[in-house]
Amino acid sequence: MPQPENILDNGRKGIVRTHRRGFKGREIRTTLLSLLLLACGYVTLAADAKKDEAAPVAKMRKNDLTPIPDLQKPVSAHSPYQDGDCSLCHQNKDRTNPGAILKQVNALCLDCHDDFGKVMARKYSHVAARVNCVSCHNPHNAKQPKLLVEESGALCLSCHTTISNLVTNAKVKHDALTSDAKCMNCHNPHAANVEHLLTRLPFDLCVGCHGKDGIKDQDGKVLTNMKKLLAENPEQHGPVAGKDCSACHSPHGGNNFRLLTKEYPAQFYSPYDPKLYDLCFDCHEASVVKDAKTTTLTKFRNGDQNLHFVHVNKDERGRTCRACHEVHASKQKHQIRDAVPYGKTGYMLKVNFIQTATGGSCAQTCHLTRSYTNSVVPLAPKKTDSEQPKAP
Amino acid sequence: MRRLAYLAAGGMLWSLSVLAFANVPIGAVVENVSLPTLTGAPQNLLGDTNVSVFIFINPELAHSNQALAQIAACEKEMTGKPVHWSAVVSDRISRSKVEAEIKSVGLSMPVLIDQSDALYGKFGVVLHPVVGITDQNRKLIAYQPFAKVNYKAFICAQVRHALKEITDEELAEILKPTAAVLGGEASVAHRFLRLAEKQFQVKNYHQALANIQKSLEKNPTAAAHSLQGRILAAQEKSAEAAAAFEAALKLDPKDPAALEGNKGTKETAK
Repeated sequence: MPQPENILDNGRKGIVRTHRRGFKGREIRTTLLSLLLLACGYVTLAADAKKDEAAPVAKMRKNDLTPIPDLQKPVSAHSPYQDGDCSLCHQNKDRTNPGAILKQVNALCLDCHDDFGKVMARKYSHVAARVNCVSCHNPHNAKQPKLLVEESGALCLSCHTTISNLVTNAKVKHDALTSDAKCMNCHNPHAANVEHLLTRLPFDLCVGCHGKDGIKDQDGKVLTNMKKLLAENPEQHGPVAGKDCSACHSPHGGNNFRLLTKEYPAQFYSPYDPKLYDLCFDCHEASVVKDAKTTTLTKFRNGDQNLHFVHVNKDERGRTCRACHEVHASKQKHQIRDAVPYGKTGYMLKVNFIQTATGGSCAQTCHLTRSYTNSVVPLAPKKTDSEQPKAP
Repeated sequence: MRRLAYLAAGGMLWSLSVLAFANVPIGAVVENVSLPTLTGAPQNLLGDTNVSVFIFINPELAHSNQALAQIAACEKEMTGKPVHWSAVVSDRISRSKVEAEIKSVGLSMPVLIDQSDALYGKFGVVLHPVVGITDQNRKLIAYQPFAKVNYKAFICAQVRHALKEITDEELAEILKPTAAVLGGEASVAHRFLRLAEKQFQVKNYHQALANIQKSLEKNPTAAAHSLQGRILAAQEKSAEAAAAFEAALKLDPKDPAALEGNKGTKETAK
């Protein structure tokens, strides 16, 4: 029989200790044996979890699971504990000497919380929940709701340190992490049908907030009601149509405006620099703006003259993606904008893009009417002095 | 209810079917081509199998890199099934770079070299990575763009659906999984019921009744009323027990415990 101290060195020193605590005016002494068995249960379950998981199992938290004295006003209490029914979980009904717990921790919890059997059978489950319910919950009472051993956001971040660092250091913050249910606005801490324990697919989660009017960013700027925008604009960008907001946005925070995962030009004009388009080049070929000639990379070409190159790839005043495209959705094909901003008054100048079977045209906006054909035979109109591009 | 689920599944699949290659819509027949591969010997884009899966990738782009490992895992999972797999990369991309990436993720499908992006242009690919799936008649039946979340599940489900291993409804459930919302009143009520059952077993009738009352307040079920009846009967409160059993039978006329309890209380009354 190993000495308790040796077993406790297996990473759970904190939970197993003999101590004195007040309880309704009485002092109770929690037995070492009961919690020791609890620790043993943890060790066994952790080993099982390791067998199932390809990824390494994170070291679980060390929690003090002893009851909080009533004088400290617990916020939540477990009904059996509150009812004094220690023997539902322990060997004895005696609060001063409850004895060992009757089963391994999770098996014991599932006796009453048997609906969690179904929950935990979801495709993706939280290692902490699989290993041991007491990774996050105190089985007696707690200073937090839901018997949580710590405030929910802090509890998650105490293990998820990478996210914690990101949240702390991000220049652009996401309110979803600090408001309402915090992490649980998007994640289910037990199990889910979506990776990363997301309660729904990213788009469905995002529009939960960003599908309303009046949502503001951290600087107070009103953000687009995406539900409304998408309902009114049927031509959607691939990731939007695929309902994958996280393809471009980092939900935990970041250093780029609008929580973009990588750089994207915020301006209408910019000298061409591939770095500015890092976000776009996660999916789109850089050659679409690098190659002056192509017959395959884009349909926006006049014969083999690549018109993306013509518009974007300039040392000065190159048009950025946003000059012609809406990033989320538009009424026109290829997310071509209806209009572009002109001057400082907010006046919107119509683009007048028309798509044809063999190409398209833009009329009377940045330049006079120009048409293009993406057949190999160039059909470009003759350029006259009056048709020189003008600034929008 | 089932009809509604089918309608929802159909709606989901329809909304996904609007996504496709710019030049090859869903339902179009894909022309088979033979292209040189990384290993040299030319290979067909599509096979003679029930299902062909082709993937346009560019290992120089971040999302293609993220996707490759998941595509490789799906390919492995589908080993032995009548599926022809092929990956397509542009000849502009360094061969050593492609080889290194393919090796690192363990992709075993042939990698076709798209010379001068001819196939890319023919399909109108636009985004990388993207997966196309054809049936045995070489008709394009599915198009799956990259997704940061659940990508492997999406790809595998699309292939299984093409193989007719899963139904439209099952595919829709994978493409738009049921929300995993936390708890709810019914769930809490169920826990009070289970606790009351345990307290009843150890003859702690007072607490059992208190907890069954909490359960009933949150979600009145036949099981909760029935247990309430059994506790009251054990306390020899026959009239109240009979009322509880009646309440249970109103919700579920076949509740066995309520039927038996009701019979018992009537006999006691006699």
